[in-house]
Amino acid sequence: MKQFNASHLEIKKWFTGTLYTHPYEAGWADEAIFFVMIEHEKGDGPTLTARVEISHDGVVWASDGSGPVTFSGKGLHPIKVQPNFGNWLRLAVEIEGGELFLNIQIHCKG
Amino acid sequence: MVITPKINDADVIFNPKTFHYHTTMSVDEIILRSRFQPLKRILAYDVFNTGFNGWMTLLPNFTEYPDFDVPKTLVNKDQWPPVMLSSATYRYPGTHGAMSGTFSLKLSTRPVHSRYEDIPAPGSMGHAIKRLSFYTPGSRFLQIECWFSYTAEQDTLDSDDHPQPGLHERSIRAFGMGFDIQERGERYQVGVRHLNCFNGNLVQRWEIENSADVTDKEWAFGLEGDWCKRGIDPWWFGRRYPDGRHEAFQIIPDSHQQLIYNETDCKLNWQYMRLKIDTLNREYVEFQCQDRIWDLRGTHVTNVPGYHRIDNLINPLFWVETDEDRRVFFYIDSVVVSQE
Repeated sequence: MKQFNASHLEIKKWFTGTLYTHPYEAGWADEAIFFVMIEHEKGDGPTLTARVEISHDGVVWASDGSGPVTFSGKGLHPIKVQPNFGNWLRLAVEIEGGELFLNIQIHCKG
Repeated sequence: MVITPKINDADVIFNPKTFHYHTTMSVDEIILRSRFQPLKRILAYDVFNTGFNGWMTLLPNFTEYPDFDVPKTLVNKDQWPPVMLSSATYRYPGTHGAMSGTFSLKLSTRPVHSRYEDIPAPGSMGHAIKRLSFYTPGSRFLQIECWFSYTAEQDTLDSDDHPQPGLHERSIRAFGMGFDIQERGERYQVGVRHLNCFNGNLVQRWEIENSADVTDKEWAFGLEGDWCKRGIDPWWFGRRYPDGRHEAFQIIPDSHQQLIYNETDCKLNWQYMRLKIDTLNREYVEFQCQDRIWDLRGTHVTNVPGYHRIDNLINPLFWVETDEDRRVFFYIDSVVVSQE
């Protein structure tokens, strides 16, 4: 049977500007999804732009080659990670136009 | 050594001196009996190369109106980072792997800290917990033992006047293991920590969870605004002092021990530790790390009246804490929880 695990990365916290999620090792997994949940928002229709980043050591990061994803509005916004991510994963997030109250999880299976 | 199993010897009682020859134990069981010293009944044997095995991050309770909010608290606990299955992969050597395969359970901190004597900064600790319960009538002893390693993040060099600016052992404040227990209507938390370094002072000694004679308010840094009981949540409560004392912990005499921290932040050596307690008399029994053993008998735990609906709870746990604005990591290859 495959393994599955969901981990929190951020819980119930206001963010604006730039944030990077905690370096996460997922080398055991074949697939990964970041779930960004916007619970509350302040400002003039704030938007969130997310990019998936990979790393060889958990310190130095690079884009995984996929394009940035931009969304807005309360609710759940999944970001499916491209396959062949290796081991280290994080999400680079840019919030513009206000503040967002976020929960971020990473779900892995493999 | 050649193992010659005898088909009809499945019921042979374990004897550590002769088991190589007289049992039909699987290789896994031989490894268990060689690496660990379990009590009679094994409650959990978790090798993290096989998965998380129910170990997860300790987080606050999401119970408040209007939106599953977290109760007001003096210590922000929702910033403890997630535990993960780590391949221990570093910039220069690549993957270190684990003692029992590729993956170990990794606890980490965020790159934030406060001074030792201040309230722990949000994210300056990481916690892992598994949730179990008592099941054997009359069980007296409870034990946790594990193979572990620890390191600091190999992020930036410290100042170049330092002899080894890329060695960050002093960033690791402490790590430890223990239990949250409630039995016969009393709750207590028992555990042991390696106080490695506080405010840059390398001390490298072992301490057990045991509270000083303080009030509940003093336990909560003299502040109002939280539900605090002396003895509960010693990892982040209890006042700490600039000389290293902590009202939540008691120093084990003659416990200075330099564990293996092997020359650079990207080398792991797997090391052993074991804590045995007596849940019948509610006292510590023994602690072992590497090949040293400390007799803790006669040291009573700090117990308080039990909480609602958790009698018979056994929650083994691990934690790690950083002493600098740098992530630090605590790895567990495998853990055994046992009773008799």
